[in-house]
Amino acid sequence: MKKVLWAGALGLLMPVIAAAGEYNITVDRVMIDTGDFVKEGIGYNGASPGPVLRFKEGETAKINVTNNLDEATSIHWHGLILPFEQDGVPGISFPGIPAGETFTYEFPVVQSGTYWFHSHSGFQEPNGAYGAIVIEPEGREPFRYNREYVIQLTDKHPHDANRIMRNLKKMPDYYNRKQQTVGDFFSDMSNHGFMTTLQDRLAWGDMRMMKADVEDVQGFTGLINGKGPDQNWTGLFEPGERIRLRFINSSAMAYFDIRIPGLEMTVVQADGNNVQPVTVDEFRIGVAETYDVIVRPKTAEAYTIFAESMGRSGYARATLAPEEGMEGAVPDLREAPLLTMADMGGMHGMDHGSMDMSDSSDMSDMDHSSMESMDHSAMEMEDSEQPGSDMESMDNSGMAGMDHSSMIMPEGGASDPFYAEGSGLVPVAANGGKFLSYADLRAQKPLYEEREPTREIELRLTGNMERYTWSINGVKYEDAEPLKLQYGERVRFKFVNETMMTHPMHLHGMWSILDVGAGQWNPVKHTVSVQPGTTVYMETEVDAPGQWAFHCHLSYHAASGMFRKVVVEGGPDQGNTVGIKAEQDGGDA
Amino acid sequence: MNASKLIVMAAAMSVTGTAFAAGSHGGGHGGGVGEPGKAADASRTIQVEMHDNYYEPEAIDVTRGETVRFVIENRGNLVHEFNIGTPEMHDAHQDEMKMMVEHGVIEGGKLHHDMMNMDMGNGHSMKHDDPNSVLVEPGDTKEIVWTFSSKTTMEFACNIPGHYQSGMYGDVNFESAADTQASAH
Amino acid sequence: MKNLTLTALALAIVVPSAPTWASDMPEDTSGRKDALTVWGVQFEELEYRYSDDDEELGVWNGDAFYGTDDLKFRWLGKGEYAIEEQAYEQLENQLLVQTPISDFFDAKAGVRIDTPEGPDRTYAVLGVAGLAPYWFEVDASLYVSDEGDTSAEFDAEYELLLTNHLILTAGLDATVAFSEDREIGLGKGLSSTETGLRLSYDLIDRTFSPYIGVVHERKYGDTADFAKAEGGGTEDWFAVIGARVGF
Repeated sequence: MKKVLWAGALGLLMPVIAAAGEYNITVDRVMIDTGDFVKEGIGYNGASPGPVLRFKEGETAKINVTNNLDEATSIHWHGLILPFEQDGVPGISFPGIPAGETFTYEFPVVQSGTYWFHSHSGFQEPNGAYGAIVIEPEGREPFRYNREYVIQLTDKHPHDANRIMRNLKKMPDYYNRKQQTVGDFFSDMSNHGFMTTLQDRLAWGDMRMMKADVEDVQGFTGLINGKGPDQNWTGLFEPGERIRLRFINSSAMAYFDIRIPGLEMTVVQADGNNVQPVTVDEFRIGVAETYDVIVRPKTAEAYTIFAESMGRSGYARATLAPEEGMEGAVPDLREAPLLTMADMGGMHGMDHGSMDMSDSSDMSDMDHSSMESMDHSAMEMEDSEQPGSDMESMDNSGMAGMDHSSMIMPEGGASDPFYAEGSGLVPVAANGGKFLSYADLRAQKPLYEEREPTREIELRLTGNMERYTWSINGVKYEDAEPLKLQYGERVRFKFVNETMMTHPMHLHGMWSILDVGAGQWNPVKHTVSVQPGTTVYMETEVDAPGQWAFHCHLSYHAASGMFRKVVVEGGPDQGNTVGIKAEQDGGDA
Repeated sequence: MNASKLIVMAAAMSVTGTAFAAGSHGGGHGGGVGEPGKAADASRTIQVEMHDNYYEPEAIDVTRGETVRFVIENRGNLVHEFNIGTPEMHDAHQDEMKMMVEHGVIEGGKLHHDMMNMDMGNGHSMKHDDPNSVLVEPGDTKEIVWTFSSKTTMEFACNIPGHYQSGMYGDVNFESAADTQASAH
Repeated sequence: MKNLTLTALALAIVVPSAPTWASDMPEDTSGRKDALTVWGVQFEELEYRYSDDDEELGVWNGDAFYGTDDLKFRWLGKGEYAIEEQAYEQLENQLLVQTPISDFFDAKAGVRIDTPEGPDRTYAVLGVAGLAPYWFEVDASLYVSDEGDTSAEFDAEYELLLTNHLILTAGLDATVAFSEDREIGLGKGLSSTETGLRLSYDLIDRTFSPYIGVVHERKYGDTADFAKAEGGGTEDWFAVIGARVGF
């Protein structure tokens, strides 16, 4: 008895921070019931999604992970700033957790906000190995709410992820059931005339690209907190309350457009970092991103949280209601978007291939002109990109030189500086109201002092849709050398998306400061979506020694090569502190 | 600020003139929230701090008929408003504030006073000179003297877009329990 | 939210001994660093044919592969089994290696072994296969037989999506011989074509797609003459029913 007391007293005297945030997690085979189908998968503590891990900023997180699988596993703490050995990427941070063993993660919690965790081994994550992290700040939140819910989305597919990967490699359009048909040809013909429609189809056929190639993997059921649309996850509220919804997109592949008909949403946080509040009717959440919004339902009715996938092939649905069992109307899926030539703007490599192959048919004149002008505009785009340029350079105004006359372009003209000018992917709010853009995001409080980047690194996002190979600067991970950064530098990354797909790029261990043209108010993220045919800049303060993963967060893109290892050379332990920036007190004056 | 931008702005302002008319101009037609008072009549001073994006304190107690002098200090990095009104008045006033942000009158931590003085025609301006409200730049301190002549559900709030929605408001509680109506939250 | 310095400090306190020398870092020996290996099996045609002169055939056109983006091993097999005669009119197996030569095309090389009813042949194969502009799947092969005869085969296919599940597939297969091989009935020049039109429905994903269709087979020139000499026809129309199967 006395011993115990002594031990207790010693514990109190220890000058270390108490390990308040301790969790035990088992990695298990679980059954996932979406309401549409039941599928074996991988989960944590017997369920998918796993538990919500809650920490408090300033404490030490200690998580004992026991692997009950018959294969190795790992957990990556997505968005957390921690020592690289704790980052959970097998082969980069640590060797992984062998079958049957327990690994203890231990790291200081140095941030607050909404994050998530997932396996970084094989395809365990798309098979269900994910959960949420909520970190309470040391001080008060810069906003108020009466209650909060985690809204964690995923795109659960009836096929095992290995099978999906194999099918995509065999046949890239295996899951694409939104392709243009004969019926679409006739309806386009009645709207645009025969020649325009024919030329449109020929131009796309010449490139061997599909307008409808927006979602690679269709046929999923959208889940919110593990519940399918029919199972209708429900969060309760009392009218007049402010509710904080912590949206996390844990999908393998699906972007979601989220709205709550009847409620406006005030976005207060993106990727765990507070942003200056912006009130919207709808927002698009990229794979691996998080957005926290505050809503305030004033009347005692049921509100539907409706999350349509970007390609409109599926949706997730949940409900906010004053009591269980209430349901709001569930909207219909809107029409699927189609890519336009503008979204193809970045495809340099293509032109050569199709030039070589085109067996001069009588259409060859047209092909040539359209390909040449495309080339040309792509060049203009590059020329206009001055180092340090701001938003102006991002809107691809150079694309105007392209010959659109023979193409069918979308009407309406919604625009967003983070989409190619004339892109078919620009989202529009269902109620005609405000749709969040990256350009609306402003840091609530700058995390870093603004300074000039020490260098720029261009990363071209590349791939071959027909072969389903994805790469960076044309090189797949298997063939790539690590990307080397120096501790203390501030690197400006220039993403040039030369593919027709959207890529959510995720750098581990260090923040991605997205350039929205707002200087020190640029938002701080962990995942940056780069739309087809666009160039996006982000800056990173290289303040975390070690080696880190850097990849597209679409599961099947990362696995087929769009992945890099980043090595941060130098750092405090080597006495190399050159270039460490001065500390900045960004707090209230 | 060039001439063409001014014209565009003036046009925009006149188009949305109705929004202004519906705004929360506490002055002569305060809708029962009280009226501006004289500093000499103030029974006490309440210090209010503005932060990004919340107030300290987040509730004040007043009694009916009381005149209070508010000293409002902005300790944040962004411009904030202190506006006394009913939730409905705040709601209506938010369109006006949204316009001020959209036209660059309020820009993060800066308030462009030169633009506020512009005459937008039709008697409208972006002066934001209603007596129930002040805009405070980071580091500044401003005052309002207010007489709470009638009791109703009232809040002090910042109507800069997103700020009220994310919780930058405080409750005005009337001290006598019998006097107080149900509060809005 | 902490600022940078506090973060770095906190990290330094908790992991004071963490070695951060790049040279000490683990190499990525995980599977992720290996080339992705894929396999697949597909029967583009697996069908019953009934001809306009009452001939019945069981026909398949299969394909299996294993490999990476850079190198695949592929088996191609074609067969026509005459049901009444209980004999293989055609039985052809190719074993190939395949590697990309452009964004949309692969080169392939290997052997083809024909073991139908009658004389056998072994060929060396060199070919290209891929996706041509306007969505034509094309495949061209050059064959040199163990008898020293050369021939070429050209195959093209186009899929018309009536809906996203109901698909009309048009296919053309043509064989040209550069020298005569009398023994197997192959004359010099354009020897034969097979044209098919199949209407399929994707019933289970793209794993099982039943179809119906018509196939037209025709022999030309000397090849036609050889066939006639042996009492065979030179032109056949078939009604076909079958399924495209892939897994």
